[in-house]
Amino acid sequence: MKYSFYPGCSMEATAQANLKSIEAVASALDIQLEEIPDWNCCGATVVSGVVGDFIQQVMTGRNLAIAEPKGQDVVVGCSSCYLSLAVTNKRFKEDEHFRALANQALAEGGLKYDGTLRVRQFLEVVINDVGFDKVARRVKRPLKGLKVAGYVGCQTVRAIPYEFDDPEYPVLMDRLMEALGATATEFPMKARCCGSSQTIPATDIVIDCARKIFDSAAAGGAQVIVTPCPMCQLNLDAYQQRVNQLHGTSFNMPVLFFTQLMAIAFDLAPDAQALKYNIVSPYEALATYGASK
Amino acid sequence: MEKKIAVYICTGCGIGDALDVDALSNVALKEYKADICKTDAFLCGKDGVAVIKNDIENEGVNTVVVAGCSSRVNADVFNFGPNVIVERANLREQVIWCHPADDEDTQMLAEDYIRMALVKQKNMNLPEPYQVENLSKTIMVVGGGFTGLTAALESAKAGYRTVLVEKEDKLGGYVGKMYKQVPLKPPFTDLEENCIPGLVKAVEEAGVKVYTSATIAKTAGGPGMFDVTINQNGGTVEERVGAIVLATGARPYDASKLAHLGFGQYENVITQSAFEEMVAAGNMEAGKVAFIQCAGSRDQEHLPYCSAACCVESIKQALYVKEKNPEANVYVYYKDIRSNGQYEHFYKKAQQAGVIFIKGDVTAITESDGQLAIEADDKTMGTTSEADEFDLVVLANGMVPTAAFGEMIEEEAEEEAAAAADEPKVVGPTIIKSNMLNLEYRQGPELPELKYGFPDSHYICFPYETRRTGIYAAGVVRAPMDMLSAMEDAAGAALKAVQCVEATAKGEAVHPRSGDMSFPEFNMNRCTQCKRCTEECPFGAINEDEKANPLPNPTRCRRCGTCMGACPERIISFKNYSVPMIGNMVKAIEVPEELDEKPRILVFACENDAMPALDMAGINRLQYNPWVRIIPVRCLGSLNLVWINDAMAKGFDGVLLMGCKHGDDYQCHFMKGSELAEIRLSKISETLNRLGLESERVRATTVNIMDYDKIPAMLDEFAEELEELGPNPMKDFQ
Amino acid sequence: MEQNNKPVKYDLTFAREIYSLENGSYIKQCMQCGMCAISCATREIMDYSPRQLFNLIKLGKKDEVLQANTMWHCTSCCTCKARCPRGVPLVDVMHDLKKYAIENGYADYPQAAFYKAFWSEVAGRGKVFEGGVTGRYYLIRGLDEVKKAMDMKDVGINMLKHGRLPLLPPKKVKGMGNLKKIIRKAQELQRKEAR
Repeated sequence: MKYSFYPGCSMEATAQANLKSIEAVASALDIQLEEIPDWNCCGATVVSGVVGDFIQQVMTGRNLAIAEPKGQDVVVGCSSCYLSLAVTNKRFKEDEHFRALANQALAEGGLKYDGTLRVRQFLEVVINDVGFDKVARRVKRPLKGLKVAGYVGCQTVRAIPYEFDDPEYPVLMDRLMEALGATATEFPMKARCCGSSQTIPATDIVIDCARKIFDSAAAGGAQVIVTPCPMCQLNLDAYQQRVNQLHGTSFNMPVLFFTQLMAIAFDLAPDAQALKYNIVSPYEALATYGASK
Repeated sequence: MEKKIAVYICTGCGIGDALDVDALSNVALKEYKADICKTDAFLCGKDGVAVIKNDIENEGVNTVVVAGCSSRVNADVFNFGPNVIVERANLREQVIWCHPADDEDTQMLAEDYIRMALVKQKNMNLPEPYQVENLSKTIMVVGGGFTGLTAALESAKAGYRTVLVEKEDKLGGYVGKMYKQVPLKPPFTDLEENCIPGLVKAVEEAGVKVYTSATIAKTAGGPGMFDVTINQNGGTVEERVGAIVLATGARPYDASKLAHLGFGQYENVITQSAFEEMVAAGNMEAGKVAFIQCAGSRDQEHLPYCSAACCVESIKQALYVKEKNPEANVYVYYKDIRSNGQYEHFYKKAQQAGVIFIKGDVTAITESDGQLAIEADDKTMGTTSEADEFDLVVLANGMVPTAAFGEMIEEEAEEEAAAAADEPKVVGPTIIKSNMLNLEYRQGPELPELKYGFPDSHYICFPYETRRTGIYAAGVVRAPMDMLSAMEDAAGAALKAVQCVEATAKGEAVHPRSGDMSFPEFNMNRCTQCKRCTEECPFGAINEDEKANPLPNPTRCRRCGTCMGACPERIISFKNYSVPMIGNMVKAIEVPEELDEKPRILVFACENDAMPALDMAGINRLQYNPWVRIIPVRCLGSLNLVWINDAMAKGFDGVLLMGCKHGDDYQCHFMKGSELAEIRLSKISETLNRLGLESERVRATTVNIMDYDKIPAMLDEFAEELEELGPNPMKDFQ
Repeated sequence: MEQNNKPVKYDLTFAREIYSLENGSYIKQCMQCGMCAISCATREIMDYSPRQLFNLIKLGKKDEVLQANTMWHCTSCCTCKARCPRGVPLVDVMHDLKKYAIENGYADYPQAAFYKAFWSEVAGRGKVFEGGVTGRYYLIRGLDEVKKAMDMKDVGINMLKHGRLPLLPPKKVKGMGNLKKIIRKAQELQRKEAR
């Protein structure tokens, strides 16, 4: 299984654990990811607020244009990048007027995109192309007894509603965790917003959102939270201590990428598990499952 | 017909495990001397059915009792043609699925159901269908507007001779005068050219006989044999038709009553229809227009109901303004935009075109220099609002059905009612003399109304059926509606009319007892001319001669049996449903003596909702009181009080009537049946008390099909209350 | 939401301008049901819910609309967009309103500074470097914000300790020259389309 791969900026900085675990899990499952050469920023949810949708989508389209000759599905590891790429791709496919205009701009860089690719998330590829059965067969150390709150977040399921899982109450990542042997907990806030990029300009929003999510995960009895999204992971991980300080709570809930948990269950090397990047220490919760430094 | 009776007991679905089947066979063979009794482990299977068929062919069996599942399932499997009587004893849904297995009480219940089925078939005969002489399958459509034309076209396209009667000199009605029409096809966003010219042409090409400038002087007879006298140009024409579609439409609400919105006061406050004419004539020049929704509608002072079409019509008219001048300012003041179904797209289209929708009540309209200003409460802003410089204000003034115009028929027979003043009174249907059909019916010349002039129908289950069989109302005379609904309505009513003439030709009933070939027969020798049957029939099926003798019209009849229940002399019966039949079923049930401490409760359950609910209780394995014995009735309206007598005399401790909801938002499938049963019941409570029997022993309750989960509690509570009263004192006097 | 009880008027001049934005015309489809408001994660701290904002647009309340924090508090979580029964892509509409507010000099919110900083990063490097965005953000916001940032320094230090804040930016996009040309052309086309 070969795919074009769009890592996104965060994978080179705050979410290196995401990149490392994705690469390791992919190779363990015979998924070949070929990085799109010289990719650029997708603009996230921010750029169109300054320069408008059109310019952001042209910029994002550059990545798709570079990938198009290979004809492989484009796999994205970051939810925000996925939102940007998937929406842009849809527009290239469906809006002829837009496509013509955007290609005029792309032509300045010698590029053109006809909208022939599929943009997919790594989570969805694991679930649909690999499948739960194959994942379960690959498990070396089942996560028996581990209670996991599957925090899918917003953009994964709502970028294009119903493209993948239910936008209101997604369950497929829970099934994936069950394939690893873990128990998915009741978690009503699993698709509620974490505050996203408000971290820098309005930290209060993130603290408030995170508090509600921790409450909900704790009420379900979860030991760890897993997520496919670098922004969610960062907000819940880096600001957990601040939530505790401001709200007088004592949450101690490791927040992992789902791929990190897969790496542990697959018994992959410490570098693949990439747990050293986690700020809330996951070692205690995961000690019995072979989490390694 | 000499009956050769065979009983087949199915032991499948757990029946054989839960019950003593040999004992059941003994009931059939020894107690009731059935000619044949067989058991089969899978009676509805191929082999099981073959056993029955073989006995019919080779043993001369002509009366079959199937003891197994409910009569609501496998009706097709156990149908052995028109010459074989089939009766079902429900041992599955109403015995083993809702009572414990291997239990004395459950066994007694099952045996009673075998007895009841055997008695029932002994008292029933094969129905002989009623045949009309000179039957007509012609469909007559009254009203040549959008709905009428559509109905006529549908009927003609289905291959039926169709007659269309229109009072104006030209076809087309209200829609015919429109500039353009709301969309009737996907994507439901674009104004469409007026369809009436095309529709008129299609109707003419389809060979519909059209009478314009015509009114109906008289409609006599019934389905398959309506004799209609049509007045046209001073002369009269006679038509014999099989069924009628009433599509006489509605009229705009009288805007002169809307002075509070400036109508009559300011020249530029006009009605929806006036705006339509203005645009059609090319005189609409306004650059800023306001539409005011619910002008009269949803207003207790005017029309309490929603007129349903005005929102989409105003959206359409707003788009006229935008079509002429995209820069024009168009405002729509509304309570709620009710652009039902596909018209949501049309609403969105108007928003996209820049029409501004304001949710708010208009509080004042004023004028200065020929321009109008509107003050309103803007509900989404929570403040008052002002807007001015309107060239035109258009009032969406709603609609009133044509059936609402005319004199209300006064309740006759006042003096008779006075004579029986202590008795609760059966209130006859309200009929407005709107001069549309002029029916020669004992109960009045037009369709009974429900409310506001709209004709009564069981609108959940069969909306086009009026309370006059063979007459189907469609379009805005039936209920306020938009064009798309009216189109559907027209086709629906035309097809109901077709069904009606076909069923009548076969001597069958229409909905809800479709296929039933029995009809009430009157033993006139014993009639006392008390008029109860002619008054109480919910469908006006029975006329009267001068001496007040009932004159039944079998094709108008829905076969509910209300007349049978009403008759104090018990002279009315069906071939397969009669007062003695049910009475004998009551008597066949074994009532243990007082010392046995096994009370008995008799339930008369309506076949339409209560019976399916009882079956569903069984399907859901809900357990209920074992003292209960259930007898299905066609409608509680057919309940004859003598059955209560029979039950009390037999020693039953209580009787429960389970029927449909009545009163406002009634659910009764025959409109008045359950209400009449309760009225009758209230009449006997005094008699019961006089006999030393507590009247609480007999009561009525309403059950709808969704209430199955409440049934166990309902029965248990009744049983508890009866226990408090103690046993029926008549018990051991049998 | 209106504090006084003065009657409102409907002035469509401003509304027409907003409706002409890239996704602005969808606003007209709003039927004021309030689904966006109950779906919003940050509704409680918004001056107006999206529904109310759309209503204010209809009333021509330019200042109220452009000074509102509503669009700036939007986190682009797409809940309202996925749920809107009228298909209004609220997230995209909010982007348009942010852009419009910035262009019309209503950019006092910290988020506006953050957005501008982010865009400068992308436009200059082709990729985003958190360190760069943060630096630029504080340059725009001034010293007061830096004080606030110092309150957060434990978070930053924690991130640093766990290798989550590289001090050096990633490599620039190699085809940066081409990317810039593409953006420039796109800007030119966008201007032409708007007309």
